[in-house]
Amino acid sequence: MAARASDVKPHMTIVRVFDAPRELVWKAWTEPEHLARWFGPKGFTTPVCEADVRPGGTQRITMRGPDGTDYPMTAIYEEVVPPERLTWNGSVEHAGNVSFDVYQVATFADRNGKTELTLQAFVTRATPEAAGALGGMHEGWSQSLDKLDELLART
Amino acid sequence: MVRNTHEIRLSNTLAALADPTRRAILARLASGELAVTELAKPFRMSLPAVSKHLKVLERAGLIVRSRSAQWRPCRLDARPLRDVAAFLDTYRSFWDESFGRLDDYLIELKQKEKKRGRKS
Repeated sequence: MAARASDVKPHMTIVRVFDAPRELVWKAWTEPEHLARWFGPKGFTTPVCEADVRPGGTQRITMRGPDGTDYPMTAIYEEVVPPERLTWNGSVEHAGNVSFDVYQVATFADRNGKTELTLQAFVTRATPEAAGALGGMHEGWSQSLDKLDELLART
Repeated sequence: MVRNTHEIRLSNTLAALADPTRRAILARLASGELAVTELAKPFRMSLPAVSKHLKVLERAGLIVRSRSAQWRPCRLDARPLRDVAAFLDTYRSFWDESFGRLDDYLIELKQKEKKRGRKS
């Protein structure tokens, strides 16, 4: 994937220090029962939280918004280096009809017993549907590309 | 159709932005329009190579090349970037809020670990 080349800058970086040792922060990120307790915006719950944290393992999370709307997400873990580095590829839905494929890198650094977390996001693709419905939509996506080609050929 | 066109444009924008040379070209154009020869100066590549990058940027709607002037200057059009920027804003606030909750949860976890430590 292009995003992994060293000369590609992340589209977004968040750095944050947590007042807890690295092993504990790692645990909170990688064990589903802990992940479910904090993942998602305020007021959201996490009725589904599966995280098979190993290279090639799947993460399945469904967040439920305050109004009852469910947001299913799937991601695949790539690099798993406890308690230092975690990378994964996921799709993130935006505005209901476009979802983005995002390659994400989290690094955990020890800062005198605290943990400095750096999260980098590389947007690799924009896809036409919510992550949960990706399977069927790939076809629709290429069909719409064909239609556009036709349209352009006629004009 | 409108939605699909919108999505294709977004994908083109992302693909165009994935390359460091193309980002450097956009950065150079941020200060005003330039002729291709002028634009190509700081880059260690041939004029045709630069033109290739310009074509990708033009297709993504990120630059406009004037047809009126003989020297066909390039101009930046930042509108397609807004979609990506809007997504990144949402993405950032998602993590900011999650991390706020993680702060609280880590306090809880630390207390639990302490208790367990005392028992054993």
